[in-house]
Amino acid sequence: MKRKALLQLFIVHNNSIKDFFRVMRISLFLLFVCVFQLMATDTEAQNAVINIRQNSLSIKQLIKEIERQTDYLVVFRNQDVDVNKVISFQKRSGKVSEYLDEIYKNTNLNYVFEKNYITLSRKVEVVNQDKKKITGKVTDQNGESVIGASVVEKGTTNGTMTDIDGFFTLEVENAAVLQISYIGYRTKDMAVAGKNNIQVQLMEDMQALDEVVVVGFGTQKKENLTGAVSQVTSEAFEGRSVSNVAQALQGAMPGLNISQSQGYLDASPSINIRGIGTIGEDSSGNPLVLIDGMEGDMNRLNPQDIESVSVLKDAAASSIYGSRAPFGVILITTKKGKEGKLSINYNNSFRWNKAINMPKPVDSYTFATYFNEAAANAGTAGYFSAERLQKIKDFMDGKITGGIDPDPNNPTRWGDPYVYGYGNTNWLDLIFDDTVFAHEHNVSISGGTEKLQMYASANYLGQDGYIRLNPETNQRIATNLKVTSRLNDYISINYGMRFNQIDFEKPTFFTDNMFSNLSRQSWPTMIAYDPNGYLYSSPSWALPLQDGGRHRKKTNETTQQLNIVVEPIKGWKIIGDVNYQVYQERVHEDIQKMYNHDVNGVPYQYTGFSSNSSVSENYKGTKYLNINAYTEYSKRLNGHNFKVMGGFQSEQFWQDVTNAGRLGIIVDGMDALNATSGTDGSGKITPPTVGGSYDKWALAGFFGRLNYDYKGRYLLEGNLRYDGTSRFRSDKRWKLFPSFSVGWNMANEEFWGTLSDYISTFKLRGSYGLLGNQNTKEKWYPTYLTMPIEAANSAWLINGNQQNTSSAPGLISMTMGWEIVKTTNIGFDANALNNRMNLSLEWFTRKTEDMIGPAPEMPVILGTGVPKTNNTSLRTNGWELTLSWRDRLKNGLGYNATFNLSDARTKILEYPNKTGVVTSYYSNKNYGEIWGYETIGIAKTQEEMDAHLASLPNGGQDAIGNNWAAGDIMYRDLNGDGKIDSGSSTHGDVGDLKVIGNETPRYLFGLNLGVDYKGFDVSVFFQGVMKRDYYTSSMDLWGATSLWSATLYEQHKDYFRNDENHILGLNMDSYYPRPLFDTDKNRKTQSRYLLNASYIRLKNVNIGYTLPTSLINKLKLQNLRVYFVGENLWTGTALTDLFDPETISSDPAGMMKYPMSATYSFGLSVTY
Amino acid sequence: MKQLSIMKLKYISKILLLSGVLTACNDNLEIAPPSSVIPENYLKEESQLDSYIIKRYTDLPNAGGGVGLDNNTDNEAGMGYSTLYTEGDLKVGETGGEWNFETIYQINYFLERVLPAYKNNEIQGSQENIEHYIGEAYFLRALAYFNKLMTLGDFPIVRNTFTDDIQQLTEASKRMPRNEVARFIISDLDSAAVLMKPTAPDGKKNRMYKDICYLMKSRVALFEGTWLKYFKGTAFVPNGEGWPGATKEYNKGYEYPSGNIDNEIKWFLEQAIASADMVASKYPLTENSGVVMQGVGDSNPYVEMFSVPDMSGYEEILLWRDFDRGKGILHNRPVDGGTTCTGIGLTRGMVQSYLMNDGLPYYASSLYKGDDSSQDIVEGRDDRIRLFLKQPGMVNIWLNVGQGTHGNPVEAEVPDITNGSAQYRYNTGYQCRKYWYWDHTYCNNWQGDTGVSIFRAAESYLNYIEAYYECYGYLDSKADQYWRALRRRAHIEEDYNKTIQATDMSKEAELDWAAYSGGQILSDVTLFNIRRERRNEFLSEGFRSTDLKRWRSMDQMMLKKYHIEGFKLWNTDLPEKYAANGYKLIYDQDPNSNVSSPFVSDYLRPYEILKNNRAYGGYGWHMAHYLSPIAMQHFMITSTADDESYSDSPIYQNPYWPVKANYPAEK
Repeated sequence: MKRKALLQLFIVHNNSIKDFFRVMRISLFLLFVCVFQLMATDTEAQNAVINIRQNSLSIKQLIKEIERQTDYLVVFRNQDVDVNKVISFQKRSGKVSEYLDEIYKNTNLNYVFEKNYITLSRKVEVVNQDKKKITGKVTDQNGESVIGASVVEKGTTNGTMTDIDGFFTLEVENAAVLQISYIGYRTKDMAVAGKNNIQVQLMEDMQALDEVVVVGFGTQKKENLTGAVSQVTSEAFEGRSVSNVAQALQGAMPGLNISQSQGYLDASPSINIRGIGTIGEDSSGNPLVLIDGMEGDMNRLNPQDIESVSVLKDAAASSIYGSRAPFGVILITTKKGKEGKLSINYNNSFRWNKAINMPKPVDSYTFATYFNEAAANAGTAGYFSAERLQKIKDFMDGKITGGIDPDPNNPTRWGDPYVYGYGNTNWLDLIFDDTVFAHEHNVSISGGTEKLQMYASANYLGQDGYIRLNPETNQRIATNLKVTSRLNDYISINYGMRFNQIDFEKPTFFTDNMFSNLSRQSWPTMIAYDPNGYLYSSPSWALPLQDGGRHRKKTNETTQQLNIVVEPIKGWKIIGDVNYQVYQERVHEDIQKMYNHDVNGVPYQYTGFSSNSSVSENYKGTKYLNINAYTEYSKRLNGHNFKVMGGFQSEQFWQDVTNAGRLGIIVDGMDALNATSGTDGSGKITPPTVGGSYDKWALAGFFGRLNYDYKGRYLLEGNLRYDGTSRFRSDKRWKLFPSFSVGWNMANEEFWGTLSDYISTFKLRGSYGLLGNQNTKEKWYPTYLTMPIEAANSAWLINGNQQNTSSAPGLISMTMGWEIVKTTNIGFDANALNNRMNLSLEWFTRKTEDMIGPAPEMPVILGTGVPKTNNTSLRTNGWELTLSWRDRLKNGLGYNATFNLSDARTKILEYPNKTGVVTSYYSNKNYGEIWGYETIGIAKTQEEMDAHLASLPNGGQDAIGNNWAAGDIMYRDLNGDGKIDSGSSTHGDVGDLKVIGNETPRYLFGLNLGVDYKGFDVSVFFQGVMKRDYYTSSMDLWGATSLWSATLYEQHKDYFRNDENHILGLNMDSYYPRPLFDTDKNRKTQSRYLLNASYIRLKNVNIGYTLPTSLINKLKLQNLRVYFVGENLWTGTALTDLFDPETISSDPAGMMKYPMSATYSFGLSVTY
Repeated sequence: MKQLSIMKLKYISKILLLSGVLTACNDNLEIAPPSSVIPENYLKEESQLDSYIIKRYTDLPNAGGGVGLDNNTDNEAGMGYSTLYTEGDLKVGETGGEWNFETIYQINYFLERVLPAYKNNEIQGSQENIEHYIGEAYFLRALAYFNKLMTLGDFPIVRNTFTDDIQQLTEASKRMPRNEVARFIISDLDSAAVLMKPTAPDGKKNRMYKDICYLMKSRVALFEGTWLKYFKGTAFVPNGEGWPGATKEYNKGYEYPSGNIDNEIKWFLEQAIASADMVASKYPLTENSGVVMQGVGDSNPYVEMFSVPDMSGYEEILLWRDFDRGKGILHNRPVDGGTTCTGIGLTRGMVQSYLMNDGLPYYASSLYKGDDSSQDIVEGRDDRIRLFLKQPGMVNIWLNVGQGTHGNPVEAEVPDITNGSAQYRYNTGYQCRKYWYWDHTYCNNWQGDTGVSIFRAAESYLNYIEAYYECYGYLDSKADQYWRALRRRAHIEEDYNKTIQATDMSKEAELDWAAYSGGQILSDVTLFNIRRERRNEFLSEGFRSTDLKRWRSMDQMMLKKYHIEGFKLWNTDLPEKYAANGYKLIYDQDPNSNVSSPFVSDYLRPYEILKNNRAYGGYGWHMAHYLSPIAMQHFMITSTADDESYSDSPIYQNPYWPVKANYPAEK
């Protein structure tokens, strides 16, 4: 066995170490025994029956049998137990306690049952010598008594154990040194010379026990890992007030990059592992997400059901999943039942979400002034006449009311608000609530007998969205049942069922489109409510949001998982899994008639958003069947450990889609298809729309793995996968993917010697693997040409009817095949200072070859899209670092810090860009490059501009614009050719363009800090990006750019004004150039407006108090914790407040989005 | 040995088992698209042919409706100036542009697959229908090619589809001389005419038939005939001086199929005459009652013809497009036509080009009341402007008033010339009334579903007259008959000779670009009046720009700039009226000016309100602008040489455009 001086405690294997620790911390629950006294406190435990196949077994084998056949975990100190000692037994079947008694008789070992643990310790023999008697008390860092701690006179077998109050009495020699030890705590030596009484405080030993990590088709001791794998446990999900799993994982592990796309209630963040995997136009680089071994959507999962999440980052770790896993795998393991008394936990959280970074629109007068200036600067007359400007001002000053005049051409109606409006409306305030509420409740039950354990949970999450006028809601119900059973010695059967239902509702007209339209089209001068108090739209988004109908999406998903493990002979397992998932999605949308009211308050239909009322129903059903059959065999021979595994996996996926829609809701407000008449807004009968399709894909794969290690020093792993996919034709269908990895843990070498007192793991590892990607996104039959045929959709009517249409299919490359992903990974792990410090480093290079890139450029005489084919490659390099520290001070204050940092950069290696257009991809381009001009500055005077133009004798800035004046941008002539232009934007002719930045998020980090003291715990979690450039020419950054791109927020007031009498004052040192419509000459991509999108965000603050056990016990509870959780409470960034650094680049890029939330939540957790 | 063989057997059986599993897997992985039709099974039955063709019908000219179709010419002017006429704003593109083949590919795919199947009798359905659809395909290819001929001139002629083989594609990219392209179009139209049905198969003229082919043929032939005539000897025709085609081996020493350019011109014009006559002689013009429609009971078929929801009843309308609100097939003509045509107004030049009822130009007629008001200027004038010019107080909408979001039920006392929104701005003060509709339920924004006329017979009259005169230098009796018919309907003196005698070319040259060809004022007054007739009949129908180009009528602006003008604003009673209506007219106070200065012109100059407008100094011209440039990308892709001129590309640039992205015309 390994020698470990400091790491004295060793666990054979276990999946729930963390729980063990939690249990240990709540030390009052410990049961104890006195010296020499066998006290079976748990009769059920003692009565557990195991079977053995030999009459004699080594202690190690016996431990394994106990652990295999029961849910016990056997814990002991290495130096106490000679695990190779062989014991003979009378019976081949008997109670655990009987076997342990046998050990007790034949060795110097004592045993204790405690919940799910059996602790083996050395028998302490009292030698009654006439020496001194010493008494003492053993406590932990919280000052709580430690029961059952072993107190031994060092160098002897003389010892005792502490009693229920932590006291002990022992006779020792005068100069003795006492060694006090207890599982989970660091052993302490104390000299007793001159003392009769000592106080001993034991310190918790952090992560003293070897972690077990979930890997593909099995588990692996962390110590023996050779691939790049990160893991977090359920702790990552405790105390988070998030709406989905991905949000909780953001920043938790290096290399797992999660970015928020939108703040929508039903939005799910986008995920990648280690950066850009593919830029293939038709291929996807998403990681594979497996929930208990089966592909699933993590965002439909109840985060509290999660036991652990492993991320397999390199090819060696993920290659067992072959073609499904080229860009990494996320393995989610859900909780399962534990043997023992039924324990019930209930927890809840009540959340208040507050929108952050909601932009502030300017007032009407500022808006109109800006507008007129922008138009005049462009050579067109102002939009707002002087009279209207005055009206706007008077309205704002409260001198006049109304905000809109009747239409002079149609005096019974209110006028077009763009022309006759003079109100002052903050549309964002009108439409969005500032704070919304959400709550979550979770109940879980766990427990069972030795043969059968069960875990069941139910979770409810109810959230409201920010739309004020018509609620947006999301409700998730998730239940989970997991039953694990042992039929007999050879067969175990496990069954799991998960169900979830998500109901999402929103106003029909609440879309992405709404955000950009709201921002560009809703002028503050327009009124929301007409002078009679009715919502008035022409167009305004308030009316359709409130009255335009509802969009409802209901999904439910049922997952059934059956797993059978047969172990015919020791060490040989045959495992079969059948996973089956049914998913149903139903999207309802109704569009209701909307009404404006005329000057006299008489309603009339408003058709600006839709001239027809309608109901549509879309149904999608999918079925997924996954069968795995594999077998594994492990063998140990004189320090050589082998494990082989091989099997087969098949996956099949079916989808059917049906949709129907009909116009003409008969009675306003009704929303069923049966309540529609089929008539359009003008009363004409219109055929309903119907559609439907069936689709299928399938995958099959054979896989095998070999693990070998010699005494934990030299580690070797090889994987092989042979995969076939239905997406490619038979000649390209099958592909072989090998990978291998090696590791060397120097700390296990003889020469490491006493260094291991300080550094207990010092492991170097490396891996290389090849994987394939067949994920051609939504194109399930990429090698088949299909005719684009549509039923009755022609835009040209014959006899008033729409006709069927068809057109030529595009060209398709029949030779399309796999993308190849090659990953090399080098890693280093170290544990030091009694596991207080952990360090892990990874470096990787991942090459994606034969990507299905964009089509090569062809002479356009081809007349159709050039077929895409495998012609592109890229390389992503990166590194990851995790550094953690945990300790507990003598005064009982525990603290920990974990920092992770990662970086990945991508370079395009080959790309079919014959003309070398720099704004597109090209070979050797750094991904994310931003090409632009260098800005000299804003010309403050016409003279300054003229002088600048005069310095450019060969055409000035003519190539990018005209009418250059004060307040415009002066660009730098980088190539010195006397003019500013972009050449042909191709290599060799880039004119004055250069790379001014890179929008790849760099140096992603997560920092977790935690402190706990006497039941109080506080943790904070920061997440961020240290380096990122961003450029956008969107109107949200720049302000109004044309009449119908009329966005103006407070920030936009910082524009160039050389006019002391200007209502906003003189502004010569402005951020923005002068306002100017209908030209982008000042908005060219350029250095001055390159945004710094790096940020640090306080993602989570968690403050909790666990009530003292003494108090809890009186309530017959096991645990009671109250807590406050804050999410996104603070952000540090140089980025303008117009954008959120997390969502800035998601679609629509650089535009206003659904806001992110700061969440304040309170809750409690009770365990009975 | 026995042991061994058992071992072997086991081994073999294992392999067999494994390969069996593999085969089974492979079969399971053979999934063809279950819900899609593959090409092998399609275009085998007449309705499938039908579906393919009908999809392309929206390619027909102006099929989307729209208004102000002559914007950016001397006829109409929108709020923004056109870069076609300013200095250095029109540039060679980096990518894209007119050099594209998507539509051509679609049709070639159809013909390539359907023709052999049709010849082998493999297509089910009625022979007549199948032939009709094939005929339509030929027509649509001709149409696609005509669009290229107008914008690019010389163009590759492709009759088949290609694979993605760069050599083959480069080879195919050779530009054929423009007259060859025109001949190819005409041959396609001839095929179409042979195959198509003689009358509209749907009975409502929403589907094409033989006569559409003839009309189109006359259009194409007239276009090419006159282009060759007016650009003869220049770089814009094959073998002309500086013709860029001569720089390529494959076009060097090109010979016209008819021997020389003059024969070629004659050939095209004769084609135009013959085919125009086949239509003109068959279809009468819709009657004009002369009624300016103002309310319930008012009717004028000539006016209604352009905007009613169902156009099938008008003989003159040869093909029209039906729209439908419930099906979401919509346009915005009623809203735009009922307001300000998206800020596109008629120019003074356009309005003044119309003859007075006595057949005399305004400057020669006693009927002319001057142009101090828009009422005055149309009084006693050609109905085509009297009916189609909006006037203060005019009632536009009298049905279901209040049911629409837009559209002015009644025109204001003064047109709003200062509004910043195109939807409300009477940009020139003169507003076209064609395409407006009087039922307010059609006037909801982008919810219009009135009919849209695509081809009308009047064009064949005009094509005949012009082609005949250009070909022979005189008018035959048919031309005379057609011209008189047009004038009769416009309620002007039928005898065009009176007009010809009274026409003063120097007066006409002040306002009408078409008074020039090749930089010279026309000496042939008859020819000018033929052009005038075309201009007047096609008010806002989208012919002007092409006509001006084929007549080479912009050269003169390279020497003398042209000022786009609207109605007479200054030295009239209008400023008072504006003041009375609450408008403040501001000039020469940039940036607050909202009208052009009286010190520049009495007439409203929409591009000369602010001095920093790019067109403040008037519209100019560049020779290169007669054709569009070909974007850089296309030279680069078809070239293997590394030099900047891409000289080994088979593609050559159009005259006076550089082979350099983002650069303006050289001449």
